[in-house]
Amino acid sequence: MPQATGFLSPYRVVDLTDHRGLLAGHLLAKLGADVIQVEPPTGSSARRVAPLDETAPEHSRSMYWSAYAACKRGVTCDLDSARGQALLRRLVEKADFLIESETPGVMAARGLDHRSLRELNPALIHVSITPFGSTGPKAGWADSELVMWASAGPLLQAQDGDRPPLRISAPQAYLHAAGDAAGGALVAHFARVRSGLGQHVDISVQQSVAQATLSSILSAAVGHENFSLRPEPKSRTRKTLDLSGSGARTRRSKWPVRDGLVELHLALGPAAGRFTNNLFKWMLEEGACDEQTASWDWVSLPARIEADEVTEDDLERAREMVARFLAPRTKAELAEIAMKRKVLLAPVTTIEDLAASAHHAQRGFLQTVDDPVGRQVRLPGAFAMNVPNGFVALTPAPLPGQHDDEVWGGLLGIPADELASLRDQGVIR
Amino acid sequence: MSALPLDGLKVLDLAWVVAGPVIGRMLADFGATVVRVESSQRVDTTRVMGPFPGGRIDIQQSGLFENCNAGKLGMTLDLTSAGGQQVARDLARWADVVVESFSPGQMERWGLSYDVLAEANPGLVMLSTSLMGQTGPFASFAGYGNIGAAMAGFQQLVGWPGELPIGPYGPYTDYVGPRCAIVALLAALDHRRRTGEGCHLDVSQAEAGMQFLAPQIADHSVTGRVASHVGNRDPQMAPHGVFPCRARWHSGSVSGGPLADDAEPVAGWVAIVARSDSEWQTLAALIGGEDLAADPRFATLDARKANEDALEALVAAWTENRGVDEIVESLQWLGVPAHVAAASRDLVEDPQIVERGHFVRLAHPMMGTSVVEGPRYRLSDTPGGPRACGPTTGRDNERVLREILGYRDDEVTALQEAGVLR
Repeated sequence: MPQATGFLSPYRVVDLTDHRGLLAGHLLAKLGADVIQVEPPTGSSARRVAPLDETAPEHSRSMYWSAYAACKRGVTCDLDSARGQALLRRLVEKADFLIESETPGVMAARGLDHRSLRELNPALIHVSITPFGSTGPKAGWADSELVMWASAGPLLQAQDGDRPPLRISAPQAYLHAAGDAAGGALVAHFARVRSGLGQHVDISVQQSVAQATLSSILSAAVGHENFSLRPEPKSRTRKTLDLSGSGARTRRSKWPVRDGLVELHLALGPAAGRFTNNLFKWMLEEGACDEQTASWDWVSLPARIEADEVTEDDLERAREMVARFLAPRTKAELAEIAMKRKVLLAPVTTIEDLAASAHHAQRGFLQTVDDPVGRQVRLPGAFAMNVPNGFVALTPAPLPGQHDDEVWGGLLGIPADELASLRDQGVIR
Repeated sequence: MSALPLDGLKVLDLAWVVAGPVIGRMLADFGATVVRVESSQRVDTTRVMGPFPGGRIDIQQSGLFENCNAGKLGMTLDLTSAGGQQVARDLARWADVVVESFSPGQMERWGLSYDVLAEANPGLVMLSTSLMGQTGPFASFAGYGNIGAAMAGFQQLVGWPGELPIGPYGPYTDYVGPRCAIVALLAALDHRRRTGEGCHLDVSQAEAGMQFLAPQIADHSVTGRVASHVGNRDPQMAPHGVFPCRARWHSGSVSGGPLADDAEPVAGWVAIVARSDSEWQTLAALIGGEDLAADPRFATLDARKANEDALEALVAAWTENRGVDEIVESLQWLGVPAHVAAASRDLVEDPQIVERGHFVRLAHPMMGTSVVEGPRYRLSDTPGGPRACGPTTGRDNERVLREILGYRDDEVTALQEAGVLR
């Protein structure tokens, strides 16, 4: 069988991004686009982004780089030098897309703004990823991942009691923007198919992250006072009932089991109470709860709680039975049975569990690449399955300048003596 | 204005809730004709989630439904009936793209599998999105958003160290899934444009989510480390936290009405980060003068990490009695990253968000005005955006049947009488 070439194999992408945009080109590269990652001769700043493998050679320590520069070719070019800028212009002439994540104004100062590049290549699609967008009063504001997560809404929502709201410990904000950058590039491509012309695609990290709030950020505009996705409806008797089934009262939905935690929400009410009934039926069969508790109908339980037929103490006893039932079992056995018995329980999967998952193994999701410094690096594979020709096999992230000769010499046809001179001047590595 | 990029693209949107419908919303923003099919018997979950005008639950006025479905045509169809399934097959023959998010196997049971639909429409691109994908031992794993976040590895990545994790808020993989799905779908459409070949894309929201954990997956394979929740701290920056301050708002002021005399000031939170030693010295000089800027306990990243509790206490002592605007403006003026942990009202009044036109107002038959988020991408020459509000239930039934499918009057009447259009 011939090797898959990928849905985007006809296209070339010049990728100037740092950690704020590295994922965008990676997504397109997985689909077969020829993505050329350009970094300074001293190495991309993204090569210093955690998590780090401290034992590796200097330029190969960042697993962030290993993950998101994978599948790309890598070249060096000093974009702050006149010769480097000239070199990039020549590369852009041969590109379908340019993706960059520079602070607004930096590309223009280099003479590489969209207008200038468009003169060279009218079909070029220029995607910029900036913290707050390329225009507006905050366009020049200082950014970091946590600050961007705060600026767009999702941070405040993840609050536990009266302590500070929490971010996700694996930084996410720039990834949302980079995902949108890849999507926006392809939408602009369909415009180019009609007109033959490229355009500028302006991605704001703040606006991309805002879309990770389940629309709760609309509440003030819609006029919904004190809107919360964290449903704590007060009953007539002022009891707090959580009828959502979504496990929104988060800490109460984590249960210690033999090898970690499971996520299980004891849902009440019409939306999801039936799943809790399924749990107690299972527990009764296993001798883990009494007949009386097992006979509760969690769909109609809210009314009985309000009528004081079932008290907080009764509920706490039921929770204790659940805790005792779950504690000695493993995540895997609980997940297996929960799926069969329709109980809303899932293992709180760790990164280690993902690596060992039979499900992901059967789907061939995680793949291992041998990288240039002798490591075997496991990476997520395709983000859509069932399209064997759509995605290409993963290749490891490049070393600095690994493809300098291939791209500058081969693709652009720059003679060897000129490359040597560029190296001497530190324009390329 | 130029034609929109996706003008002429025909989409049958059988998806529901969030992760599926936002794909069709983007396609509609950029010119596609999207027919969203739903059931009035099994109401889309987003129609009963808010926010709602005035906080009153009304399935025709959900902000979340509007945000996921603005600009689509809307029809109601009973897919459990043979008549409903036939209408769906006719729509799939008309369509270039079918998006669906039912439990794996459900489309096949309704006679709507890709094989069946592609037989009548060989170039069809179908996208199925589900929690775990269409195949594999956990394919039938189903549940709410907390389950997806648990399966993808996110539940144990939010929390205070040494305590039970709290997990991310909301159905986290619903935000990541569509971003990956859109890229795969548009790439498949370009492939079809060049080759005429359709395909069936199987998007797992968990696998999409894991694309956003690729560095942690790679790190585990190389170093054996297992990523866990560490509060708001970061191994490469300090301070790196969220600190108490005075918010701009008082309780009960979300909608901007007059304040009651006894309205309490709301507790606010501000995120502050020093990305380098020099940014710390700038921050330190502001909050503690030259003595703090010169304090050896905090001079280097290693020192600040070793004394992080004390460091955070100093920052918090400076922020807690100040207003958030004063804090953010003074820090940003000095080039130090800081921002309010934004509530909805902060965003609605954020001059940046306003300037960028992030919130779009659309005419709505019941609300008067519906507010949704603008398009995901700002395109300089072919700017898209929602062209109409989301459909009320079954609003376009007749238009879809007559104008798109060319059904005769008697056929439409028969479907109505058979209860298929509900």
